[in-house]
Formats: sequence, structure tokens, C-alpha cells
Amino acid sequence: MPILPKPKIAPEAEIPTASMADIAFLLIIFFMTSTVFMRDKGLKLVLPEKTDQIVKIGGERVIRVSINDAGEIFLEEENITSVVDLKEKIENRITEYKAKHEGKDPLIVIRTNVEAPYEKMIEVFDVIKQIPEAKAVSLASIKAGG
Amino acid sequence: MRLKQKVATRTNIPTASMSDIAFLLLLFFLVSTKFRKEIGFKVLLPEARATERIVKTENLARIYINSKGQISVDDFLVNPEGVSARFKLKILENPGTIAYIKADRKVKYDYVDQVLEALRDAKAFRVIFATEFKKG
Repeated sequence: MPILPKPKIAPEAEIPTASMADIAFLLIIFFMTSTVFMRDKGLKLVLPEKTDQIVKIGGERVIRVSINDAGEIFLEEENITSVVDLKEKIENRITEYKAKHEGKDPLIVIRTNVEAPYEKMIEVFDVIKQIPEAKAVSLASIKAGG
Repeated sequence: MRLKQKVATRTNIPTASMSDIAFLLLLFFLVSTKFRKEIGFKVLLPEARATERIVKTENLARIYINSKGQISVDDFLVNPEGVSARFKLKILENPGTIAYIKADRKVKYDYVDQVLEALRDAKAFRVIFATEFKKG
């Protein structure tokens, strides 16, 4: 009996793509959960240049905010307990000075005792940053015994 | 009268392009993910209402100061002179370098002051104090 050759069937080659999306989504979830968007934020300041020249600034032009070693805040000699108070008082001083000196900007100096916590300095700096008229700010430190 | 024959409608969701979408999303996350190499210190930042977002982060060079007053730059424990030396090099490489000070809220101001002086020595005048948004 002659054996008939089997009819050749071309084998269909197929890549299963149904699960491809699952794999991809799994990877996405991995990256989404492992990505931490580190948003940098903070308060900007430009430091003054170091010069040998001593620039004298009229005493009236400087608004002095001091922080003592216990973290208490003083505007000139006056003890200030509330931050809201400090903001108002500095604003008043700026407008006063500006009215007297044809719109010149006064200079605000934050003098922090070296023993005071950093947090307090930021608290005062934050208050000054919130005042749009306060353009010139500088930082200084009070060393122990001086 | 002849009744209409019911034809079962076949619903199909095209899933062929699903993987394309998924891979596109994947690529987006791959490209946008930046692994930070620097470890630094764990610090509790102070809070401020006037906190601004910093958009350009390429120029930032971080300085960590922990509550004990230790200073870390590029994951090296340094003293204020070391900060000055490192920032001098950074300024040479990129004059637009901004010092990003991440200091713990409880640290004595002394350490921050020393770092600021060191930065002035290195002519790195642009400084940002890292803070958190204050709520309320």
C-alpha cells in the first residue's frame, strides 16, 4: 500500500503578546514606587563679598534683629515674643525709613548668637523674606563674650 | 411573520497596542528617574512660610550639617576649611554653583556661621537654606 506523503502544514510561529502588557505594567509599578521626586526647596540668599574695605553704613539705615543664646528675638533693644509682631514692626520701620530718605532701602541685619539654635535664625529670616519691601538682608553672628 | 434572528455581538478590546502604551510609560519613568548617589546626613529641616521651590537643581551642591555639628560635603566628613577647599574647586568647575545648606533645626548657629564664612572664602556667594513648607 503506497503511503501517501503527509500534506505539509506550515507551522505557524507566534509570539504570545497578550501578557506583554502585564509585564510592562509590572515594571512601571516598580519604577513608580521606587521613584522619589526630591523637590529641593528653601530660602535663597546671596552672601556679601569679602573685601578689606570697610563700608560704613549710617546707623539709622540699619535695622538690627538680634537673637540671643536662649533663642529670644530682639528688634534693636526691644524683646519680641511673637513673630507676627516682628513682621509688623519691621514693616513699619521700613516704610518710616523710606519716607524719610526718598525711597532708599534700609538694611536689615540678623545678628544671631553662636549658641542660638539655627531654627531661630530661619524663623526670623522667614519673617523678613515675607516682607516684599525688605530687599537688603545680611547675616551676622554674635560670638560669646563679644 | 418572521422573527429576527439574534446575532451575538462580539465585544473586543484591542490589546495589541496596550503594551506599546505601557512601554511608553515605562520609558518615561526610566528617563525621569534620577538615582541620588549622595547619602549625606539625616536632618530635620527647619520650617518656613517663605519657602521657595528650586527649579534648577543641576547647580546645587549640598552641604549637610547634622544636629551634632558634623559637616558633610560629597559624602566626606569635613571641617569648615574643607568646605572652603571643596567649594573653591566647585566654583572653578562651574561658576554658577549654588550651595544648598541642609542643616538640622536644632544645630547651634555657630556651625552654620562657620560654613557661611567658608563659602564666602571660596567665593560661593549664592546660598540656599533648605527648609520645609510650614503648614498653617
